[in-house]
Amino acid sequence: MKVLIVDDSLTIRMDLTEILDAAALPAVACATLAEARRKLAEEHFELVILDILLPDGDGIELLKDIRSIASARDTAVMLLSTEAEIRDRVRGLTTGADDYVGKPYDPNYVVARAHELVRRNADSTPGEETVLVIDDSVTFREALKDALEQASYRVIVSDTGEDGLRLASDQRPSAVVVDGQLPGIDGATVIRRIRLDAALRGLPCLLLTASEDRGAEVHALDAGADAFVRKDEEIGVILARLKAALRSAGAQAQDRSTASLLGPKKILAVDDSETHLQELAEVLRADGYEVVLARSGEEALQLLAVQPVDCVLLDLLMPGIGGRETCRRIKNAPGIRDIPIVMLTAVEDREAMIQGLGAGADDYIAKSSDFDLLRARVLAQLRRKQFEDETRRIREQLLRAELEAVEARAAREIAEERTKLVAELQVKNEELESFSYSVAHDLRAPLRSIDGFGLALLEDYADKLDDDGRQFLTYVRESAQQMSQLIDDMLALSQVTRGEFERAPVDLSSIARLVGAQLQHATPDRQIEFIVADGLSAEGDTRLMTIAFENLLGNAWKYTGAQERARIEVGTLDEEPRIFYVRDNGAGFDMAYADKLFGMFQRLHARSEFEGTGIGLATVQRVIRRHGGRIWADAKVGQGATFYFTLDGDIRRDASVKGRPELVRQSTLGTAA
Amino acid sequence: MNREATILLVEDNPKDEALTLRALKKANISNNVVVARDGVEAIDYLIGSGPDGSRKPLPQLILLDLKLPKLDGHEVLKRIRDDERTRLLPVVILTTSVEEIDRFEGYRLGANSYVRKPVDFTEFARAVVQLGLYWLVLNEQPPVIRA
Repeated sequence: MKVLIVDDSLTIRMDLTEILDAAALPAVACATLAEARRKLAEEHFELVILDILLPDGDGIELLKDIRSIASARDTAVMLLSTEAEIRDRVRGLTTGADDYVGKPYDPNYVVARAHELVRRNADSTPGEETVLVIDDSVTFREALKDALEQASYRVIVSDTGEDGLRLASDQRPSAVVVDGQLPGIDGATVIRRIRLDAALRGLPCLLLTASEDRGAEVHALDAGADAFVRKDEEIGVILARLKAALRSAGAQAQDRSTASLLGPKKILAVDDSETHLQELAEVLRADGYEVVLARSGEEALQLLAVQPVDCVLLDLLMPGIGGRETCRRIKNAPGIRDIPIVMLTAVEDREAMIQGLGAGADDYIAKSSDFDLLRARVLAQLRRKQFEDETRRIREQLLRAELEAVEARAAREIAEERTKLVAELQVKNEELESFSYSVAHDLRAPLRSIDGFGLALLEDYADKLDDDGRQFLTYVRESAQQMSQLIDDMLALSQVTRGEFERAPVDLSSIARLVGAQLQHATPDRQIEFIVADGLSAEGDTRLMTIAFENLLGNAWKYTGAQERARIEVGTLDEEPRIFYVRDNGAGFDMAYADKLFGMFQRLHARSEFEGTGIGLATVQRVIRRHGGRIWADAKVGQGATFYFTLDGDIRRDASVKGRPELVRQSTLGTAA
Repeated sequence: MNREATILLVEDNPKDEALTLRALKKANISNNVVVARDGVEAIDYLIGSGPDGSRKPLPQLILLDLKLPKLDGHEVLKRIRDDERTRLLPVVILTTSVEEIDRFEGYRLGANSYVRKPVDFTEFARAVVQLGLYWLVLNEQPPVIRA
């Protein structure tokens, strides 16, 4: 825990070092930017207290450096400078300073702020925080995403405001970074809608503004953004602003309850009269307030856009937009509308008072050299604000608790419903399982009797039967055997659907060769030219792919039965994703019936011509579908058939078969019912 | 072929019983075949003792169906393997089911072989002949355990 003080005044260096040391914040001091850079390179500081006007340059340049060095990004920076120009304050805060304290400073205030910044920094180590980035420029979005991810935020992105809002309510990010200019609703509108949403309103929002947008501060303020950053700033600055926004959002939740009236309060005084402003500042500083001075309504709005305060003292009569308009704008800006405004005017004018209050001021006093009344009123306003904050916090807590309860209930109900459905499904599966088992077992036993005793009749009583009788018995036996085959095929089909599915690398070449060898073994008299391409590898389930090849090659074997020179080929088309095929030069079929090919019990050939149950291709289709792939066929009567399939659900496949009308037409088969 | 050898056929379906016996006869396997029609009968035959404490001679081969009344085939197999006197007997499961769970249980409990009964009698007969030839002729019997 170490603090670096950069200030050219020896008095200030000594004073700060002493009070920080006393407050258990060991400090190192230096007088120039060059020295500060050296110190920063040597060791890590939790906090840098930085003057802006330094002998060898601009303190904000050093701030920029700190924000652009990844290792120093989590260093908190407090600017401590003479309030010559409010522009410096705005510049400093938009460049990523965590706080800005004006000189002359109150030592206790500085120590309190230093403690707070260091503590918040320690509390808010990013990691579980999710940032939603809404920007229509892919380049910028990705650059920001990379930087955020490097800083260990989780990032979700969106390219439109509408989509971003949806994501925000779905995923509840910890913060939103939104581009001001978007194709649909703009960034300011996005933030405004977030502020209107009870569940999202506390979400820190960062508005990215175009570099040429002069009124950026006011826009951001209008929308209720917690901070804004120009898009041409270093990404480090965006990160710092985001971190600061997240810090103060986190701090709000914890601190509001404990922040007492005695804690440091920041007051913005706005007056075009320099004399009166200085008088005000002196009186209020003596009361322990941190006082920020603005010389016009415009300046006040600019400042409020980068740094909220606890109370505003606003002169009614000023050049430019004036007190009334300034007041109206503050009261219309979602993020800061709760800041109490005390209107000041030189004239004891009832009309002016009514106008001021009409614009939304919380109180009204006439300027006078006696500041006691003013001090009392300010204290009253701060107390009221405190009380309101407290009430709102309690209300919000209640609302949040209620929301959470509703969400928890909904989640519980969904979980219960799901458990019920899973249980039901399990029961159904078990029923199906036992049904299949019974079918397998009990349906076959009588078939065996029909076949067995049919044969026994033929063997033992052949002489008592005539030719017709013997023929009938043959039919009886054939039917029994056919039904047995049907049962086997249906069981195989149901196993394809209900069995386990395990995707792993499979060597389709080996599977095809193995199945081919079995078929060759079962039909030793067949002469078949069987060609399998090497290296047909894929991701799939070995058991299921074996079943698929058993059916595809079994068909090929069967339908080339009448062929003098049968040729069966397994290979792949030279395309991405890979399309595998099984091709034969067998009987083929009429493509007019291709849509019936994969249906249950569908056969395109007479049983007298080719044996079969019409379940094989339905089984193959289920296998391919379980892989997320597709299957289709191409054939001509008498000229063979080719079955094509893919094993991944890549939709680009349709494009890859362009220029082959027959394939395109058939490719829809795989997804047909 | 060892003509003395007895085959124990555990089969509840009389038609399957008739078909099995016919297949054995067709294959000229004229061994003595004892039929148990449920699991309890099978266990009584193998493990139970008569009123005088005498026990029946053990078969050379057990053909065991799985779906049986009272005690099912797996349970019968388990008891055979649990009994000191019968634990080495060759047991061939002869059943309609080729469900994975049945095959797994069968082998896990110590079946020596698992054969599916085909529907086609010609194939069924061929299977029975092969079983007889293998288990009664080719295969050397385990030593008899005196208990």
